[in-house]
Formats: sequence, C-alpha cells, structure tokens
Amino acid sequence: MKGWQEFQDQSFYEATARERAFHLVDEGTFEELIAPVDEMTSPHLPVLGEAISFDDGVVTGVGTMSSRPVFVISQEGRFIGGAVGEVGGAKIVGTFKLALELYEKIKAKYPDDYESRVPAVVFSFETGGVRLHEANAGLLAHAEVMEMIQKCRGKLPVISLVGSKVGCFGGMGFVCVATDMVIMSDLGRIGLTGPEVIEEVMGKKEFDSADRALIYRTTGGKHKYIMRDCAYLVEDSIGGFRRQIEEVLKMSYAQIQECRSIGTPELTEEQLGIVGLAAGLNPKDAKDVWYYFGNDNSEAIPDMFYQEFMSVVKRRQKGGC
Amino acid sequence: MSVQIMTGKGREAISMIMDEGSFLENIIGDYMQDDQIGPGAVIGTITIGGRAATVISNDATKGNPRFPVVYAGVIGMEEAYKMAIAVYKTIEADKDKPAGQKRPLILIVDSPGNGPGKVEEIFGMNKATGSYQLALTEARQHGHPVIAMIIGRAISGAFLCHGLQADHILTLSKDFGTMIHVMPLSSIARITKRDLETLEELSKTNPVFASGADFFYKLGGVEEIVENIEDMKAAIIRHIDEVYKLNQAGQSEQCGPWGRGLLGEERGGRTLRKKVLDQMETEFAQIENRYL
Repeated sequence: MKGWQEFQDQSFYEATARERAFHLVDEGTFEELIAPVDEMTSPHLPVLGEAISFDDGVVTGVGTMSSRPVFVISQEGRFIGGAVGEVGGAKIVGTFKLALELYEKIKAKYPDDYESRVPAVVFSFETGGVRLHEANAGLLAHAEVMEMIQKCRGKLPVISLVGSKVGCFGGMGFVCVATDMVIMSDLGRIGLTGPEVIEEVMGKKEFDSADRALIYRTTGGKHKYIMRDCAYLVEDSIGGFRRQIEEVLKMSYAQIQECRSIGTPELTEEQLGIVGLAAGLNPKDAKDVWYYFGNDNSEAIPDMFYQEFMSVVKRRQKGGC
Repeated sequence: MSVQIMTGKGREAISMIMDEGSFLENIIGDYMQDDQIGPGAVIGTITIGGRAATVISNDATKGNPRFPVVYAGVIGMEEAYKMAIAVYKTIEADKDKPAGQKRPLILIVDSPGNGPGKVEEIFGMNKATGSYQLALTEARQHGHPVIAMIIGRAISGAFLCHGLQADHILTLSKDFGTMIHVMPLSSIARITKRDLETLEELSKTNPVFASGADFFYKLGGVEEIVENIEDMKAAIIRHIDEVYKLNQAGQSEQCGPWGRGLLGEERGGRTLRKKVLDQMETEFAQIENRYL
C-alpha cells in the first residue's frame, strides 16, 4: 500500500474523496467524522432503486496542519456525481458548525492570541450540485451551507479546492466562490449551469457540450486564474494543493480575506463593472477575454503546461490578493 | 377573495403589499440606482404598515438588452448584482440604527432560474448569485428582517439566489399556480430513469423530491402558506414582527436556512438532518481536547 508521502505525488484530479481528505492534512492526523462504519446513508435512494454509499458521497473530518486544526469536507464524484442530498448536506453543514464551535472555545481559552490557533475549513469540491433523487432536501442544504460560510466570515478561514474529475457545478458553483479563497488546478472546472443545459438553451452551434476544450476554456482553472476567480493555481497533485494550503495558513486572516472575489459592497461593485465589460466586449469565446486582459498569446494558452502558463500569464488587475 | 394568478406580476405584487403610492423605485436611503442596470430585477423602497422597507422583486415582463438570456423573470448577472447592491445599500442606510430598528427587506419571488449562457459562465454567473446570497445573510446578521414572498416560480438556483436566505419564506398556495421545485417530476423521472407514475405515487409520502408549496411546507422549506392574495400584506407584516421579536430574544437561530432545518424536523419532513448533526457533535466531543 502507498504511504502518506507517496500520496503527495498522486494526481488530485484522480484521487478519491477519502484520499484527498487523509493526505491534505498532516500525516496520520485525519479523523473522519461520521465514517462509513456509522452507516449514515440516504433512505431516499433505495426507494428509487438506487445504490447507497456508506458515506453518502462526502468525507468529513478533522486533522491538523502545522499543529492547527483543519476541518476537511471532501466530495466524492464517483458516487452520483458528488451530488448533495439530505445526509451528505447535513455532514457539510455539521462540519462548519463544529469549526465555529471550536473557534469560540479557542478564542475563549486564548483571548490574546487566538488568530493563529483557530481552525480552518478546507472544502474539496467534486459535485454537480443538488442530488435529484432527493432534490428538495439537497436544495435546502445548499442554503444552509451558504449561511454557514457567511457565519464563518470574520472568524476563521474557509478555503475551496477545485481540481477533481467532476468539477464543481450547479449550486455548489456559487458555494465554492463564497469562501475566502479558491485554489484550483488547471484541470479544475467551476460553473453554475452545466454544459449540457447551456447547449439545450443556446443550441449546439453556440455551445457544444461534447467539446471538452471549449468547456475548459469557459470554466477551467486557467480561465478562472486569469479572471482572478481563483486566487492560486497549483499543479495537479495532492501535495500541490497541500503545500498551497500550508502557505495560505501562514498568512494573516486579513490577507486571506483579501483573496475573496465576492462578499463586500466594494467587491460587488467591482464585479458589476466586469459584467459591464462582458456587455461591451461581447466575447465569442473566453480567449477574447484573455486577450483583453493582456494575453497576446491567447491561442496558445489552452495547450500550455503549468510552468509555462504561470510564467507568461497576465491576469485581471485586482487589489489585495 | 379571489384567485388571481400572480406569476409574472412582480410589480403588481409590490403594489398589493405596500402602503398606497409609497414605492420609490431604484432608491434606497441616499442611494439611487441607474435604471438601465438589470431590468429583470426591481429594487426600491416602500412603506408597509407605516414602516419603510426595501423591496426586491423579479420583473418577468422585461428582458435585458445586453444579456439575451434574461427574460420571463430569469436572474442574470446584472440583476443579481443589482439585488446584492440593494441589500448592501439597505445595511448602509440603517448603519447607525439599533438592531431592533433595522428596516426589513421584502423579496417578491417569481423566477425560473439564473441566467444560463456562455457569457454568463465566462464572467461567472455563480459569483453574481453568490454575492446576493452573502449580502442577504449579512443583512440578517445586522438585524434586518428578510421576508420572502413567493408569488409564482421559485425554482432551483433562482430560489437559492432569491428566497432561501430569507429569515422567513411565505408562499401563495398551489391554487395560484405557484411552483417550487428543483426540477419538475417529469424531468426527474427522465434523469433518474424511473417512470413518472411510480414517482408520483412515491411523492405522496416522501416530500424530498416532489414539487410544490405543500411539500416544501412539510420539509420546513417555507414557513407559511398564504391562501388569499388579500392576506399577503398582513402576513408579511406579521412575519416581520415575528423576526424582530426572535432577533431581540436572541433566537435568530430559529430563522433563515438553519431555522428551516429545525422546522423540517418539527414537521417530520427532514428527520435525518438532526441525527447527522447530533452524531457529529458526539464523535467530535470525544477528540475535541486534542485541538484545544
């Protein structure tokens, strides 16, 4: 069996939810909460003749990074596309609740010196959003997660990781950008409306959902990095993500919060300005936007390897992070 | 008493709930919104029962000339940011008032979805809808009661964007053709590969995938079903007062998404949620000392 160290070189894109959870935090520190042995499963799936999973498609737990508590939520795309149902949704919400409660306790115990001790929440997304088999419960869980993220504001860092096979779509597409910071690999994808639905609305000529290159240009890590919708772009390995989280946790909380793309009046005005650009530019393709932001080599960007891309890329100007 | 379909009539709904002639469109406190921005959304100030409130509604009669996906009440990027700005300007307008006097926000809900399109994905529709939700939750944290009133369609992402972050959610009953769901049962049948008859039969006892106001009531997804249009105004005022009271009593946890989780347990529609949360608490309590 592979050891913890060897997993650091493993592709994040290919890794299971549990592999990511166990190997993002320090070796041997991950404690799963509501593990498969608890058999907390969806009662709604068997009614529809669907298989269940003993973790309901999300791994939740806590470990440490540099002796600091880090709660981890890790979604499993292999199980119904990582979609969120009643049990999995409650596990996500419950993780945020535990982090907030631990924050209060640490703050009470170390009133003069708590900022570097408070927990962080790391959320590894791999999901299409609401699980249709229990759609209403999944929808209501999304709203609870958004509320929890806002409740963590000003208290503890919440970091989104997107680099897994399924990407991050549907309602989870806005959950992942509501946190303090998004870290992606160039294989990660973030969107709201899935490619198939856009094709249905706009027609195949305008948006072909089978065109993988088009989908990556529109929703992929490189695009989000140019737009500053993700703060950091890392190489596709568990260790790549882990090292970036370690760096982030060395920053002050104020610095971390500067990496937000939404969530304040100023950022909202800034984003509305970008929408004005969308109307003015009316791009046919994301490449037009890359070019606008100074990437004269926009045609070459999709095929660039990570190092080359990082050395030449021009990003949208933004204050802070 | 009248049964009048309100779908597509956000502006009429504003007229019905406000004190006559009180609507100041695009004005919140000292702020004045450019009226060209986000025509699919209506924002402004009304008085309701003598009290100033911010109102945010969909306008299904207007398209957005810059973003063709916006029509029939679709929330596009401009619309969602306009709605978010309305919330922040409300917080700003009352920043010197004590918690019990923060003006309410009233959301008139009638939207089939968030803008689906290539430009929307390139520029990030997800950020727009996320912005508005964070703003609403922040307003609640400051003590502004947020009441949503569903008059037509409250569908999936649009309901998450414009409605589900409210303190309390009211809906006109199904007699008014209100639609609350993620997907119609026929689409769920197609995607889950079950026949429609089976799903319809199952949905009678299991509200987690059935659509409509009654099922969302059972799940704790809406606080109250309003049976008459004429009662909307009084119901909204009553819920504003209830939310003020809960906030003042330090019980704001009973409002909003978390409060509706408690309501889902109470009404027997979502019973697993609490089991999961309790189990997590129990398991973490055993290892918590390591992290303190």
